[in-house]
Amino acid sequence: MSTALVSEDSLGASGLRLSGISVALGGQAVLSDVSVSVAAGEIVALQGPSGAGKTTLLRVAAGLIPAAGIIAVGDDIKARPALIFQHHALAARLAVLDNVLIGSLSRIGLLRTTLRLWPDAEITYAEACLAKVGLASFGPRRADTLSGGQRQRVAIARALAQRAGVLLADEPVASLDPESATLVMSLLRDLAHNEGLAVLVSLHQPDLARLYADRSLRISDGRIVDHDVFGLLNSTA
Amino acid sequence: MRKGMRATRLKAGGVLIVLALVYAFCLWVVSPDLGRLWSGLPRLMRWLATGFPPDFSGPYDLALRASETFAIATLGTTAAAILALPMVLFAARPVMPVAWLYHPVRAVLDTLRGIDALVFALVFVAAVGLGPFAGMIGVALHSAGTIAKLWSEALETADLAPVEAALSAGSSRAQAFVFVLAPGTLPQTASALLYMWEFNIRASTVLGVVGAGGLGQDLKNAIDLLDFGRVLADLIIIVAMVVAVDRMSARLRRRLL
Repeated sequence: MSTALVSEDSLGASGLRLSGISVALGGQAVLSDVSVSVAAGEIVALQGPSGAGKTTLLRVAAGLIPAAGIIAVGDDIKARPALIFQHHALAARLAVLDNVLIGSLSRIGLLRTTLRLWPDAEITYAEACLAKVGLASFGPRRADTLSGGQRQRVAIARALAQRAGVLLADEPVASLDPESATLVMSLLRDLAHNEGLAVLVSLHQPDLARLYADRSLRISDGRIVDHDVFGLLNSTA
Repeated sequence: MRKGMRATRLKAGGVLIVLALVYAFCLWVVSPDLGRLWSGLPRLMRWLATGFPPDFSGPYDLALRASETFAIATLGTTAAAILALPMVLFAARPVMPVAWLYHPVRAVLDTLRGIDALVFALVFVAAVGLGPFAGMIGVALHSAGTIAKLWSEALETADLAPVEAALSAGSSRAQAFVFVLAPGTLPQTASALLYMWEFNIRASTVLGVVGAGGLGQDLKNAIDLLDFGRVLADLIIIVAMVVAVDRMSARLRRRLL
């Protein structure tokens, strides 16, 4: 499959910029003046203990939680990154290809959605996304027949179908066996290094961060408290 | 600790006393008399015995009545589903576009469910005259409330993670509903619809009592004339129809899972 996942008009050449993000939930500050930037072609690990604010930061960046501050993909403050959820969040009864096409819903109307009339270009693109995650032949299968690792790869394909240029992954390997975790992390690194996407991934495992990320940010009590660069180690995909 | 246990015991005792009072009231109102039942059984058995052999005379008329019952239930359930669809959009929290309409719409559903199809049919006989049309309206109105409630509960208990994923991918709420939530809850919603169809086949037989057509009409006439052969024939056809529809819907449900 030769369809490029990052086209000229997509935001592949742009990175993610979160600036001065603050969130309070129930009167409690969850994020305080957090600033993060991820360059195109870079994969950054977000680390920290449970409750530190990793998931909240990713959900803010994806536009799911309102927050004070600036969220921009490149220079575009209206664009939103694609989010890969911790437990894949696939529609279990839908076919794998339909799940990937969910990433294209913003580009088609309600009538086409209702009648399942997908433009050929969207289907071709969704198939290319599936091929990119190594599941080219899985399109017609129901999502609930896949293994955990396969489902997470379909979730990545769905995020790719958004053509967002920036991928956010919320503990994408938390519930996977070591082999599947390796596969998913390699895939995310390849998407950054080879496809030019900016990838921000929250991880609990420091060894995975060291192996697959270019940089690591440590978040604690809603603030960025530490910063590691592994770029030399992971500069080759 | 002991204080808490004592309070629990007192509460349980209070509940038991209230239950006993409720049952005492019900027994006083119904006045069940097993002696009267026992003495009436021989008469009932004599009547049942006169029902053999069942009277299937006039098969064309019987088939017409049976088809009326089937049509009342099928069209009534379909119309109910069409009525329920817009209501469910306002009665299920995950899809509800206007928050303040939630409770009023729920109240409408409760009202529709609270009035039996028989009562609706009786009212609409006055409006559209005797016949299956009044029965269909009765079935449709009562079932719309039930179907909308069952559907809204299916939507409210659905896994909303895929819906959130679709919304975060930029889909509209309507798109997320038709492409993700509706197919995701299809086994529950279709099952509720098929259940209502089965239920309405049974319910439609009773509608004849108020002149709304179907086998119930034939059954009522037969009971009025003490024609127990005919009563038995009607009951056999009703049971056969219910069993057939039950099998058919069970097969459909299996295919939808």
